[in-house]
Amino acid sequence: MTVSPSPLAVENATLGYGRLAISEGLTVDVPDGEFTVIIGPNACGKSTLLKALARMLKPSAGRVLLDGRDIHSRSTRTVARRLGLLPQSPIAPDGITVADLVARGRYPHQGILRQWSARDEAVVAEAMEATDITDLASRSVDELSGGQRQRVWIAMVLAQQTPLLLLDEPTTYLDITHQIEVLDLCAKLHREGRTLVAVLHDLNQAARYATHLIAMRDGAVVAEGAPADIVTDDIVEKVFDLPCRIIEDPETATPLVIPRARPRDLG
Amino acid sequence: MSTASTPVRAAVIRVGDYSVRLRGRTVAAVAGCVLALVAVASWSASTGTFELTPDRLWAALTGSGTHAEEFIIWTVRLPRLATAVCVGACLGLAGAIFQTLTRNALGSPDILGLTQGASVGALGAIVIAGASTTVVTGSAAAGALGTGLVIYLLTRGSDPSGYRLVLVGIGVAAILAGVNGYLLTRSDIVDASRAVFWLTGDLAGRDWGQAATVAAVLAAGGIATLVISRGLDALRLGEVTAVGLGAGVGGVRATALVTASILTAGGVAVAGPLAFVALAAPHIAARLTGSSRSFLCAALVGALIVTVADAAAVFGVGGRQLPTGVVTGVVGGVYLMWLLVTQRKKGVMP
Repeated sequence: MTVSPSPLAVENATLGYGRLAISEGLTVDVPDGEFTVIIGPNACGKSTLLKALARMLKPSAGRVLLDGRDIHSRSTRTVARRLGLLPQSPIAPDGITVADLVARGRYPHQGILRQWSARDEAVVAEAMEATDITDLASRSVDELSGGQRQRVWIAMVLAQQTPLLLLDEPTTYLDITHQIEVLDLCAKLHREGRTLVAVLHDLNQAARYATHLIAMRDGAVVAEGAPADIVTDDIVEKVFDLPCRIIEDPETATPLVIPRARPRDLG
Repeated sequence: MSTASTPVRAAVIRVGDYSVRLRGRTVAAVAGCVLALVAVASWSASTGTFELTPDRLWAALTGSGTHAEEFIIWTVRLPRLATAVCVGACLGLAGAIFQTLTRNALGSPDILGLTQGASVGALGAIVIAGASTTVVTGSAAAGALGTGLVIYLLTRGSDPSGYRLVLVGIGVAAILAGVNGYLLTRSDIVDASRAVFWLTGDLAGRDWGQAATVAAVLAAGGIATLVISRGLDALRLGEVTAVGLGAGVGGVRATALVTASILTAGGVAVAGPLAFVALAAPHIAARLTGSSRSFLCAALVGALIVTVADAAAVFGVGGRQLPTGVVTGVVGGVYLMWLLVTQRKKGVMP
């Protein structure tokens, strides 16, 4: 295991909405420099955990630590320079162009009298280049396909220039081709040195792209570690109640989950 | 200095560490509004029962006119014009803030009940206390601010871009409209006619004191808007994204609600509930600038609507002056319809 301190961590936290507690005494360390994917069945608390990491949800007990300090004690602007967030369904104002939307990512680096520095300009161009949307720059976001739009939002978060990126189900509304495209982009961002945390639904995609998996059920972490150690038949059954076999992905040699056929399907 | 590498449609001025972005179309729209405002103001300062040629208007303004000319300009027409401009700007700005905050095209002080709150204050003062104009003005401001406070307390902690704020506002507005109806029915004929006249909204006989009051409210509201404008802009991307970008969402929202309430209170207290200005001005500004980000343009359009409406009201129908509020709805409404129809044809806007 690495000894480098975790840049982002949840410490003994109670997370929930109003009086409904989703997680109690939850402790999670996001390992530095890894592509962490949180998996688990619906309502297991994985989105709640991501919200807590993104300071969208304040724990009623315990703390969320960014670089070892309580995330809620720091100015939201300081946090926004360390940690970028791609929400599940972000809202694009009517008629906004791709370049304008990506430029919004510069918000934490700007001010009333620092509206558009040369650096802002260069970083936005770079973010559009990295997500391959430079050609779309003057198009209206409304008229893009789902996959293109997701790349635009990722570019906006990249323009924020944060070493940490949180992505809430980045592939949910996309077809399979665009899901892979977005995940390949995430993998590239990880290779370039960023620490990523994503919530994903697809177990096989998680196993293929993650370098660190956190499996949750009923608000608690059931297992965490490298995909090869986590995606095993008994852990998958424990987390998802899904009887399955694990084979090796012929493309990437990562674990591939094959749900067991029910007796009636065998004919 | 245009931005060649990223086609963000704006000119950029950079001095050392400081930089300002100017969208060409926004600058043009703002300049156009200012010119139109000056033109309408000059026209309305020189026409009426006492006509002034342009050179006599200039003479009166620079202090070399006759006693009568200077009286008409400095005591009658300019205070009224200044009030019209400031009231319109207050309402336009308030509407733009509410629409941004609620992310709802109908978010305006009329829909959210603030106007009705001001009316309860004014009508209460007229009908129950038979109060003077100054007391009516103060009471109307208190009514609007009180309503803003109630709405804030009832919706605190919830996302104002959801339906909650708008629905609470509609509910509050309905209750207050009922109170207004009750106050009218229990008033005698003199108070009732004064009350109905106030409810229409008018600018006749406004003096420098009233103009200065609204100007002060406008200045304070304008500065507050400038401070939170970046945060409001981030909120256009939704609450989650705004937090992710580092906007202090809670503070921005509270400041926005307070600012818009004070602007509404200032405008409505002095001029009465001028119909439609706060609702229409931001839409017209958005269509002129091609973006909904310019609060300055919304304020200027508001000022323009009220000034044009007031000029038309003075001009009157069949030689009889009209209350300003009768005309604002017509002026703002017709122009908005025209923009919606023509731009729909061009396919610019939905």
